[in-house]
Amino acid sequence: MNLKNKLRTNFFLIFLLAVFSTFLSYPKAVSKISPVYNFFDKLKINLGLDLQGGIHLEYKADVSQIEKGKVGEAMEAVQDVIERRVNAFGVSEPLIYTTKSGADNILVVELAGIKDIEEAKSQIKGTPILEFKEESSEKEEDVEIPEEFLTQLNQQRKEKAEEILKKVLAGEDFAQLAKENSDDPGSKENGGEYDFVKKRSFVPEYEDVIFNKNLVDGTIYPSLVESSFGWHIIKKIQVRGEGDDQEFKSAHILFAKQTQPEPQKEFVSTGLTGKNLKNAKVELQNQGLAEPQVGLKFDDEGAKLFAEITKRNLKKQVAIYLDGEIISAPTVQAEITNGEAVITGNFTLEDAKNLVKNLNEGALPVPISLVSQNSVEASLGEISLRESMKAGAMGLGVILIFMIFYYRYLGLVASFSLLIYTALMVTIFKLSVLTPWGITFTLSGIAGFILSIGMAVDANILIFERTKEELASGRNVLGSIRQGFERAWPSIRDGNFSTIITSLILIWVGTGFVKGFAVVLIIGVIVSMFTAIVITKTILNFTLREWAEKRVWLIVPSHQKNSEK
Amino acid sequence: MLQIINKRKYFYFISATLVISGLGAIFIWGMNFGIDFTGGTEMKIEFSQNIPKKNVIEEKLKELNLVGFSLKKGEKNLIILQYEKSDDDINRKVFEKIKEIDSNAKQLSVNFIGASVSSRLKTNAVEAIMLSILGIAIYISVAFRKVSRPVSSWKYGLGAIIALAHDVIITAGIFSFLGHFYGVKTDVAFVAALLTILGYSVNDTIVVYDRIRENILRSGIKDEFESVINRSLNETLARSINTSFTVIIVLVFLIIFGSEAIRYFSLALLIGVSFGTYSSIFVASALIATIYKFQINRK
Repeated sequence: MNLKNKLRTNFFLIFLLAVFSTFLSYPKAVSKISPVYNFFDKLKINLGLDLQGGIHLEYKADVSQIEKGKVGEAMEAVQDVIERRVNAFGVSEPLIYTTKSGADNILVVELAGIKDIEEAKSQIKGTPILEFKEESSEKEEDVEIPEEFLTQLNQQRKEKAEEILKKVLAGEDFAQLAKENSDDPGSKENGGEYDFVKKRSFVPEYEDVIFNKNLVDGTIYPSLVESSFGWHIIKKIQVRGEGDDQEFKSAHILFAKQTQPEPQKEFVSTGLTGKNLKNAKVELQNQGLAEPQVGLKFDDEGAKLFAEITKRNLKKQVAIYLDGEIISAPTVQAEITNGEAVITGNFTLEDAKNLVKNLNEGALPVPISLVSQNSVEASLGEISLRESMKAGAMGLGVILIFMIFYYRYLGLVASFSLLIYTALMVTIFKLSVLTPWGITFTLSGIAGFILSIGMAVDANILIFERTKEELASGRNVLGSIRQGFERAWPSIRDGNFSTIITSLILIWVGTGFVKGFAVVLIIGVIVSMFTAIVITKTILNFTLREWAEKRVWLIVPSHQKNSEK
Repeated sequence: MLQIINKRKYFYFISATLVISGLGAIFIWGMNFGIDFTGGTEMKIEFSQNIPKKNVIEEKLKELNLVGFSLKKGEKNLIILQYEKSDDDINRKVFEKIKEIDSNAKQLSVNFIGASVSSRLKTNAVEAIMLSILGIAIYISVAFRKVSRPVSSWKYGLGAIIALAHDVIITAGIFSFLGHFYGVKTDVAFVAALLTILGYSVNDTIVVYDRIRENILRSGIKDEFESVINRSLNETLARSINTSFTVIIVLVFLIIFGSEAIRYFSLALLIGVSFGTYSSIFVASALIATIYKFQINRK
C-alpha cells in the first residue's frame, strides 16, 4: 500500500513537472488565460549572437609597455573604459570580458542585436589613447627646410591672401570664403568668427586693427595684416565695454605662415597615460588667438608622475600623444605639482569637445587591436533559428512516430517522456537565465539540442529491446519490463558516460561554437537519463497493472512472444 | 540469425577499401582548412537581385590585392568571400567595392580571425583530440577490466580503438574529398563533430562487447567463441540500428531543413554516426574473433 502511494505521488509530481515545463517552454499553450500566459511568457531563452544578430569582437591588448605585475590592473582599466563606451550606445546587456589566450591578453566585446556594426566598432576603437612622452637622451639630426623654399611658400600664401582680400572687398561672402580658405581651425567653421573676447587676448597686430584704425563695426579692414601666425583679413564686428573691460567680437581669415619646423625628436614613454586622468575640459584660454585647448586634471598618482616628469624635463619638451600621434609638444617652463596640464593642438572647438568627451569616458591605458570579429546580421540569425527549429521539430515528430510504431505502448510512453524531455530542456535554458550560470543558446547549441533529442530515446530503446528479449525468454510482461530497466542500466550508464567525457573535453578546450554545442549536449545527456529512465518507468509502473499480462500485443506483436526460442 | 562473423572477410574488405581511400584522399588532397585554422576573413553578402557575374566581382576587388581570394555561391542571392587578410580596414574596403556593384547589397556576416587566434584554435583542436583519445582509452580499459576470457581485456580496447580510427579516417577522407571538389571547409566545428562521433560510437561498440561478455559468462566453454560473438551481435542488432536510426533521423532533417551554417557540421556527424554504427556491428566484434583465432593459431 505504501509503495502504491509512493508511486501515485511520483506520478503526480511528474504530471506537475510536465505541465509546468510545457507552459514555461511554450507559453502560447495557455495564451487564452492571460495572467498565466503573462507569468510564463516573461522568461525568454538567452539567444546567442548568431541567432539574434550582433557582433563578437576580440581585441588583443598590447601590454608590452606595462610592468609585469600591473597587466591585470591595466586590463581591468581597459574593460572599464570600453564598458563605459559601449553603454553610451545603449545596447541591451553588452558582454565585455577579458581573457587570456596563451600569452595574449584578450578583451572580448559582445553586442547583441546591434544594427550598425561599423558604427559600433568605430565607437569602441574611437576611445583615445593618451600618452605623455619625454625626450629621449639620444638626439636626432635636425631636418631643416631650405630657407628659399620657405620664402617661396610664404610668398604664394601671401598672394593667395591678397586675392581673397580683393574678393571680400568686392562684396563676396566673408563667412563662405573663411570656411574655404582660413588656416585657423579655431574659427574656420564659424565663418571666421570669434565670439566676444577681452582686450589683449589676441596678437597685438590684430588688436591694433580693431581698436586703433577707426574701423566701423561690421566692416573689413582693407589691407592684409601680418602677424607671427601669417596674414589676416580682419573684419571688426563689434566692440563693447570700457577701459580694461573692453571686449570685442571679430572675424578673420588666416593665411598661415610656414616656419622652420621644430627639430624632430625621439620621444619615449614616461609611464603617464590616460589611465591617470581624473577629468578633462575644454578651455578657451586667452592666449594669442583664442584657440580651444584641453585642460587635463590627473589623479594623485598621475599628479606625482607629472611632477617628476616636469622636474626631470625642465626646459625640454614633453610630448603628448593621442592615438599614437603627437598632438602637442610644449617645452616645460616649470615643475608642475598641482596635477594639471593643458593640451594645445590645432583643435577646432568641435574637435576639442569630442576629445574631452572621449577622454572623460576614459582613455585606454594600453593600445588594443582587433584580432577577431564575428558579426551576424539580425535577419540571418532569425532565419537560422527558424530553419533549425523546424528541422528539430520534424526530427522530433518522426522519432515519436517511429517509437510508437516500433515499440507500441512502450513507445507511446517513451514519446511522452521525450516530449517532457524537450520541454524540460527549454525550461532549463529559460530558468538558467535567472542563475549566474545562464546558458546562451547559439546555433551550435541548437545542433546539440537536436542531436540530444535523437540520443535521448537511446536509453529507452536499450530498455525496450531488453524487455522484448525477456518477454521472448518467457517472462511475464511486468517482470520483463522490470528486468529491462535493471539490465539495460549498465549499458545506458557506460554509453552516456563516453559522450559526457568527450563533451567535457570540448567544453574545457573549446571556445564559442564548440562550447555552445558541448554544454547543451552534456545537459541533454543528463536530463535524458532522468526522463528516459525515471519518468518512463514511473508512467509504465503507474499505468501497467495485472491486466496487461493478457495483452502482450501492447508491447510486441503477439505471435512473436513464443516464436523465438 | 545473421551470419556476420562468418562473413567478416567481406566486411573487412569493404572497410579496408574505405579506410585506404580515406587515407589516400587526405594524403593527396589534404584538408581544406577553414579560416578558424588558417586565419583570414569570411564575408557573407546578400545581393538585392541576382548575383553579378563572378568575373565582375573579381575585377572589382582586384585592386585590393586579396591573397588567397575565393568566391563561393551560396543559396539564393548569397555569396561567400574568403581571403587570407584579416584586417578591419580591408574588410570595409571590400564591402565598399561590392556596394559599387550593388548599392543594396547586404553584409550578412563577417568572420575574421587573426593569426594569433587561429593558432590558438589549432592548438586547442589538437589538444582536444589528444585528450579525447586518452579519455576514451582510459574509459575502455576501465569498462573491460573484468573481461579476460578467452581474450584479454586490452584486446577489446584495441578492437574498439581500431573501430574508432576507422570511423574518423573515413569521415575525414570524405571531408577531404568534399573540400577538394566542393570547397567544404574543415573547421573547428568539424573537429567538434569528430569528437562527438568518438564519444557516441564507442558507446555502440561497448554495448556489443558488453553482451559478448555477458554471453561468455553464461555460456561456458561448450560454445564456440565465434558463435557467441555472432549471437551477441544478433541480440544487440536491433538496438544498435534503432538508436543510431533516431540520431540519423534528426541529423538528416538538420542537413535538409536546418540552417546552412550548421549543415556541414551535421553532415560530419551523420557520416561519423553512420560509419560508427557500421563499424560497431561489422568491424569491432569481428576483430575480436580475428584476434581470438590469431591467438589459437599461435599456440
